[in-house]
Amino acid sequence: MQSDTPSGAESVVSPAVPPGDALASEEGALLAAVLKKDRKATAEFVSRYADPVYGYVSQRLAPRADLTEDLVQEVFLVALGKLDTFAGQSSVLGWLLGIARHKVEDLYRARLREPEPLSAVEHASRPGPVALPDFDERIDRARAQEKTRRILERLPEAYGLALLWRYWEKRSTKEMAAQTGKTEKAMERLLSRARAHFRRLWEGELGP
Amino acid sequence: MNDERFFTRLAVKTDAMQGTGERAPARLKSRLYSALVAEQAASGPLLSLPATKAAGRPLCVFEHLLQVVPAGERVTSMNPCRVCHARVLAEHFESPPIYWPHCPYVAFRRG
Repeated sequence: MQSDTPSGAESVVSPAVPPGDALASEEGALLAAVLKKDRKATAEFVSRYADPVYGYVSQRLAPRADLTEDLVQEVFLVALGKLDTFAGQSSVLGWLLGIARHKVEDLYRARLREPEPLSAVEHASRPGPVALPDFDERIDRARAQEKTRRILERLPEAYGLALLWRYWEKRSTKEMAAQTGKTEKAMERLLSRARAHFRRLWEGELGP
Repeated sequence: MNDERFFTRLAVKTDAMQGTGERAPARLKSRLYSALVAEQAASGPLLSLPATKAAGRPLCVFEHLLQVVPAGERVTSMNPCRVCHARVLAEHFESPPIYWPHCPYVAFRRG
């Protein structure tokens, strides 16, 4: 039986655009044309899906923005190779984001297997504030996204990737530990330092 | 507020799955297109230009020329973008100086 779930995926993430009948049939026609190697359809495929896939990958790789474009290209090449297995059970965008998610997690795994540089550990040993204010729900989405990205870019790479994996990809500490060959305790320590560093930056303690 | 709640709420608020409004650079779209078509061409001929046109997809001026030349199916199934300067410019510049209609690289710049 054909599946829309990329190999090893638990589930395909929900895209922002709901797949309606009209959309599904339009997408089906586009994919059929790409499979027939219609170059103009391939151009339309890129035009239609490059922006949301790029947006997702770019956020998830904020600490390694330099890798974003290569990873997006990998996602599209994998998708092209698996296009004939796409059965239309999810939207094309959901399927592409599922592939992207796997590529992103491969990168998290590889990077977090490496030992942390000493500078990151030293930095994290600075005392943090005793109490931090609440997360301000009134902050608008675009501003929150921008501020989050700025902070993730300033964190040591391992901290940023660990936080993204834990909270944005919703992986448990246990899963992260198992996939990186660390103990659960070591992963929790890494996350704890990462959270403290992030929140100090969020509250402006270490700069604007 | 504890850290778990803070990060859980922040992640929900800022999740890129709901869209970021961020756009891929035109350079990247051009490179993606080139890579995908190269991959398609590597496994056999592309859909011929006359068939592409018959499917309702307009051709650029160079593709149109290739299509009318009586050179056979093999030539009309080739990828002229591979040797087109528009591709080279589009893969390296965000706003390349290319303007003719129905060139995908021009469309990426506009899109």
